[in-house]
Amino acid sequence: MKANGNPMVVERYSGLDRMIHIIHAAAMLTLIITGLKIYFGWDFMSFHTARALHMFAVPFLLVVNWFLIPVSIVLAAKGGILPRFMHFWDHYIFGPKDAARMAGIIGNFFGKGKYPAFSIYDEASGHYKTKLHPLMKILIVIEGLAIVVIAITGIVLYSLNWSFLGLPIASWILSIGGLFAPAFGLSSLEFLRIIHLLMTYWFVFELVVHVGILEFDPHVWKYYKAIFWSGKEDLTDTHYAEVVKTKNH
Amino acid sequence: MNNLVQTLDSVDFLKMDRRTFMKAVGLIGAATFLGSFKSQIVDALEFAETKLVWLHGAECTGCSESVLNAGNPDIVQALQKLNVNLVFHETICAEQGIWNDGKLVNTADLNSEILLEETYKAGNYILVVEGSIPNGPDGSGRYLVIGNKTFKETLGEAAKNAVAIIAVGACATWGGITNAASDIEKDTDYRGVAFKKADPTKGMLKELGIDKPVINIPGCPAHPDWVLLTLGAVILGKIKVPEDLPAVLDQYNRPKVFFSPDHVVHDNCPRRGYYDRGELDDQIGGPGCLWKLGCKGPYAHADCGIRRWNGSVSLCPQAGGPCIACVEPNFPDASMPLYVETEDKGILLGADIGTVAKVAVGAAAVAAGVHAVRRMKGE
Ligand code: SF4
Ligand code: SF4
Repeated sequence: MKANGNPMVVERYSGLDRMIHIIHAAAMLTLIITGLKIYFGWDFMSFHTARALHMFAVPFLLVVNWFLIPVSIVLAAKGGILPRFMHFWDHYIFGPKDAARMAGIIGNFFGKGKYPAFSIYDEASGHYKTKLHPLMKILIVIEGLAIVVIAITGIVLYSLNWSFLGLPIASWILSIGGLFAPAFGLSSLEFLRIIHLLMTYWFVFELVVHVGILEFDPHVWKYYKAIFWSGKEDLTDTHYAEVVKTKNH
Repeated sequence: MNNLVQTLDSVDFLKMDRRTFMKAVGLIGAATFLGSFKSQIVDALEFAETKLVWLHGAECTGCSESVLNAGNPDIVQALQKLNVNLVFHETICAEQGIWNDGKLVNTADLNSEILLEETYKAGNYILVVEGSIPNGPDGSGRYLVIGNKTFKETLGEAAKNAVAIIAVGACATWGGITNAASDIEKDTDYRGVAFKKADPTKGMLKELGIDKPVINIPGCPAHPDWVLLTLGAVILGKIKVPEDLPAVLDQYNRPKVFFSPDHVVHDNCPRRGYYDRGELDDQIGGPGCLWKLGCKGPYAHADCGIRRWNGSVSLCPQAGGPCIACVEPNFPDASMPLYVETEDKGILLGADIGTVAKVAVGAAAVAAGVHAVRRMKGE
């Protein structure tokens, strides 16, 4: 994990992680902008270009989320199923320690206490114990679900009779939508379309939180560099980062 | 597909066997099918001998008017030529029921109520229902009584021996305007023949314990072509009831050939070019797309865009009125408010999702600003 040269400079994001993040960000921005253009009728681009770009970005987002991210998670740890699962759990799932950090962050927001470190590097093992901001761990789970929902509802908006290997997927989705839609006084298609828009708004909200709250801080800008370019973190900069040494690792 | 269409164009529709007919309808779709065979269906109607009983429940008679306004064929032409015996149609028939001391008098020739009773007994007729059927108050059906008989009872009698039942218009299909959400909705309890709103378990036939398939021709009103061509196909036996119905109807019993599950009014709207260019009118009377004025064309499964109305000259959005998806289940509730964009309906505890999103994103942006200032100050 240690990068060449300075022993305090370590690899925070692998090349695969960075590629995933860049493709994910580009696809997501494309989808949000073209989707809202279609919805609001903004006139900076034609409907057909917007729709073409929208459809072009879909496979990128889905491949990143449903294939590359799981691959990267599996590859990030060594050993059998259990160590890999534990790595996933520690890095991506919001746990009690994240809750404690989150409480510290909220306290700090209201003027109480220090901003806790959320990036914990274990010198003994040469690996991060955890590195995501606790809020990010919450957002990631909701985002994963939102992507599933927006993809499913998007199939119907793409084509009302989309089928795959002869299976009438779109009509199944419409039938499932029809179970919930009447509760809102909507038809299934209306319901699915509204959910699609709602998920788009969720992504806009997430973007504001992700960029605005998590990253809008000169001391966090080092992580921009890490995720978009270098992949490295200099642990001598102790803002949000802490180095620990676990025994018996 | 073009070759198939050309081949079928030269086929004599009347000589086509049922299997080929079904295949053709399935393969070539609504517009082509009708373009190719409309005149033949009309000709064929002349040879049919089936009786037709057209009953009116709670409604405005708009669907009858729509059919009376039909062009090519118009209903008068059709009636003059047809061998179909239109036994009873309240709006068209001159004679009506005559009671004396609560009893029907005279003979079937002079008393249409007796004629109806005899027709029901003889069976072998097609029943068309226009208008909804009140079940209230308290399941009695007495909110609609004609000749001291509830319409609920009349429908039961008429449906029992009918060879096919066709519900015409939003009222007969889902309950329509009579069944729209209101303070008295529970009390009046209007039903469609096979559905109540979008619920197939609460149709009036179910309530009466009659298990018969129903073809739904929704619309407010229904398009004359939808009605006449469905009747033509059923009368000719080109669509066999009930065997063929699962293949030709959608889950709401609408003929897929007119109410395609894969297509909506929006697909063929003459204003579609404006939608594609993002020219969305925010005031009625402009040339642009009516989406932001609440047009429900993107949700309405009907062929209005291809078929058009009033002798094929126009359709709602073309004439400047946003589509209100009058063919969809649970119309009009599902389309309410009629001229408000679906996304602006207050479905989240009365708030629309745009407002919720603005508040959430705005709050996040403010929090981000405060956070940024604090962090920059190193607090
Ligand atoms: S007017 Fe309605 S149906 Fe026509 S393009 Fe606009 S949204 Fe679609
Ligand atoms: S355009 Fe819309 S409102 Fe008009 S008849 Fe067709 S489905 Fe009904």
